[in-house]
Amino acid sequence: MSGILALITDGFGGSGGIAQYNRDLIKALTLCPGIERIVVLPRLGEADATVLPAGVRQLKPRRNAAIYSLAAIKAALTQGPFEAVFCGHLHLAPLAGFLASLLGVPLWLQLHGWEAWGVPRRIERQAAERACLITAVSRYTRTRFLAVCGVDPARVRVLPPTVEQSFGRGTRSDELAARYGLRGKRVLLTVGRLDPAERRKGQDHVIRALPGIVARFSDIVYLIVGGGGDKARLEVLARELDVADHVVFAGTVTADELPQLYRLADLFVMPSTQEGFGIVFLEAAASGLRVVGGNSDGSADALADGAIGTLIDPADTAALVRAVTAALGGDGVAPAGAARFRFENFSLHVRELMKQHLLSAAPARAA
Amino acid sequence: MCGIAGIYAYHYAANPIDVMELRNVRDHMAARGPDGCGEWVSADGRVGFGHRRLAIIDLSAEAAQPMASADGSAVIAFNGEIYNYKTLRTGLEAKGRVFRTQSDTEVLLQLYALKGAAMVGDLRGMFAFALWDAARQGLLLARDPYGVKPLYYADDGWTLRFASQVKALFAGGKVDRDPDPAGWAGFFLFGSVPEPYTIHRAVRAVEAGTTLWIDRCGPARPARYFAVSRPLIAADKPARRPAADAGSRVRAALLDSVRHHLVADVPVGLFLSSGIDSGALLGLMRDAGQRDVEAITLRYDEFRGGDDDEAPLAALTARHYGARHTIRTVTREEFRADLPKIFAAMDQPTIDGINTWFVAKAARERGLKAALSGLGGDELVGGYPSFRDIPRWVRLTWLSRFVPFLNAMVRRAIAVLNGAMPLLHPKAAGFLQYANNYSGAYLLRRGVFMPWELGGLMDGEFMREGLRRLDPVKHIAAVLEPEPKSAWSKVAALEAGLYLRNQLLRDTDWAGMAHSLEVRVPFVDVALLQAVAVDFAALPRGAGKALIADSPSVALPPQIQNRAKTGFSTPIAQWLQDDERVRAWQDVPRLRSANCPWARRWAYQIAQA
Repeated sequence: MSGILALITDGFGGSGGIAQYNRDLIKALTLCPGIERIVVLPRLGEADATVLPAGVRQLKPRRNAAIYSLAAIKAALTQGPFEAVFCGHLHLAPLAGFLASLLGVPLWLQLHGWEAWGVPRRIERQAAERACLITAVSRYTRTRFLAVCGVDPARVRVLPPTVEQSFGRGTRSDELAARYGLRGKRVLLTVGRLDPAERRKGQDHVIRALPGIVARFSDIVYLIVGGGGDKARLEVLARELDVADHVVFAGTVTADELPQLYRLADLFVMPSTQEGFGIVFLEAAASGLRVVGGNSDGSADALADGAIGTLIDPADTAALVRAVTAALGGDGVAPAGAARFRFENFSLHVRELMKQHLLSAAPARAA
Repeated sequence: MCGIAGIYAYHYAANPIDVMELRNVRDHMAARGPDGCGEWVSADGRVGFGHRRLAIIDLSAEAAQPMASADGSAVIAFNGEIYNYKTLRTGLEAKGRVFRTQSDTEVLLQLYALKGAAMVGDLRGMFAFALWDAARQGLLLARDPYGVKPLYYADDGWTLRFASQVKALFAGGKVDRDPDPAGWAGFFLFGSVPEPYTIHRAVRAVEAGTTLWIDRCGPARPARYFAVSRPLIAADKPARRPAADAGSRVRAALLDSVRHHLVADVPVGLFLSSGIDSGALLGLMRDAGQRDVEAITLRYDEFRGGDDDEAPLAALTARHYGARHTIRTVTREEFRADLPKIFAAMDQPTIDGINTWFVAKAARERGLKAALSGLGGDELVGGYPSFRDIPRWVRLTWLSRFVPFLNAMVRRAIAVLNGAMPLLHPKAAGFLQYANNYSGAYLLRRGVFMPWELGGLMDGEFMREGLRRLDPVKHIAAVLEPEPKSAWSKVAALEAGLYLRNQLLRDTDWAGMAHSLEVRVPFVDVALLQAVAVDFAALPRGAGKALIADSPSVALPPQIQNRAKTGFSTPIAQWLQDDERVRAWQDVPRLRSANCPWARRWAYQIAQA
């Protein structure tokens, strides 16, 4: 009869990395012995019951914070009994902490990336101190969070994302290659938003490195997948460096097409600086691509400290040129190690974490 | 007595361990174990141990470490000595277990096979060990009840690394050095870094009296198997035995402890001062049947012929018990030359330990690998002024407990006035606010700086975060969990759980091991505490020392017994004041005032080193 109340930003019916993570986690929770029901309350994203795993009930999304809070309280009081509260985002932690106290059950808090790197609000810190288990997507996020929030480090564990089955090796789609003008070319690929405020995926770094890469491989095309307002700046940069002919903007693509786009590429490169983990690295590696990433954020986890791909200082253009040309020339690390991030490992780990930190634990008292 | 290290890639996402990293961590501790080294890596490459050996029990190669059990189900890397290992072994053999070596290490393996982690309760000794349980695929880290032997770990969320020394962990190149505000605040408050903190956020101590289990989910919560307050609570029980036979009980218990602490396959020497504790140890060593004792005393050139010269009285004691006696003179020049090495060997910042550095150096020069020290005697008998002051302060200020806001205001007002014209001791400002409970009073009594004085020593935000995370009074109060009833037992628990553990024992370890010398501390022994706490708690202050002095069958010479306790003094403070390399404190206005205690300047200096 035991159930879990999950407060999340989005999951089933949502899009993006966090939604996928939440879906994986909820699915893994349903596989834990003793867990029979999971009631999910999202801020965004509707899902019809056919896509939900057995035992999961997703309530209507509530965008408005006040209405969301009321809906959460109502769910806590009427949809129970609950054994634990799962909180999928630090910003929801104060509410989740309150509900966990109200129900007298343990709280599990999930951390993703930048939201957990700054000094938390007081109420967020208090909720974190109350949590029996805090999971972070990467060692990097864990370290950053522990630096700003003095919770017991033993309770902060790492639970990396998984990569979806749809990403894998396969034949190149000639139609897509034609659409983007990639026939007969060597393709560098980045998948990530072009956010003008954040500028953290490092596409501009790759463009700066292109002249050096083109000098070695004249048939190179840099395929940039992802939408956002930073495109204009990147176009100007490419023109200034006289590599505009070598850059293709694919914009936002559908989830169905994305696996095929990876298969078009020869090398995935993303010298990012603000990545919580970088699930795209895993998607690329699962697609059989060699991978180059930055060494100063969660990417080091996705690339397993260099076992899955090459880590470079994202600000060092010369190092980027060297890493890319070496990988295109067949040197560097083969991406086979990414298999460690398969769902089975994730799911088993979720089960162990539940057993050790939540099902056996009395709720930690508020500090 | 050795250095241990290990890496456990517990998380499914982590890479297999790097053997070169393991070796670098291990060999950073070469001084801890100059007699040999070993390593073990599991077949799947997920876990590995390194060991540096200082051979003291069973000197043969069969006793080398890491050591695996006969069936391969467990592997251990162990630092320390199990003084009751022969008894444990006999018990295990009676249960049919067959031993391959004469070492105490193997006893640990066999005992674990029988009892699991609960085995630590059977051990009498000083230890820090790591044990890999192949069947359960987990790692057990354990530390002795008082924390004589150190053990630190760094958990990055994928991989856990451990070593006997913090600095060794960094030698592997994979551990983050970011400063820990709680560790630094603790250092300035106490003069040593309080467990479980270190000055690095990524590194923590396995706390004294706890075990830590690590499996593929990472470390579980530490499990405490010993709290020093427990035997003291037992001593508080009203059914007190008549004091008349206290002497014979103390004698028997001390002799028993000394006898256990002499278990070795190499000669065990003695640090001998002019005081009662080490002198009594010498007499007890003779009683325990040790014919040939090498005793070491330090003499500082400056003190020669003065009251502070320990050599004449120590020589008297040595003659009294017929020990071979070495008086080792330390000069200012030697001190100057050694200071950089001392800083390098100091594992965590501490305002003490230099004296131990030199006496350990002298012992090693005499060829010793192990020596007894009288450390812990004052904690055992209640010899510190804190045993008198703290209960008195708590009584004096009990009314102030009811007006906490007023106390803080008084503290601020006095601090401001004192800043303009320093009339009172800087700690006086906090008297009303802190002295009304045992934890606060302890901070006042033992603190180097007070919490409100840390500005100027630490960056503002870093300091606030440090005080918030450490929460000093709460940190101190945790030692009183569970809380003894009597005032004496409370102070005894505080002294043993804080000053002894974090300062004296830590300093003894790094300063001794830097010279490959194992220092053994017979006064720091749970069986001893359990046997005699009830007697010392009942005695009037000062009478405890007389019992110690009388405990050898031949009592200490009257000159030692009657010597007024001058406190232990060295010219080191003066040498440091005169040293042009030790000047950083002059940059801090507060530390320049003429009546600033030297410990404060030195603490600041250490922090800059």
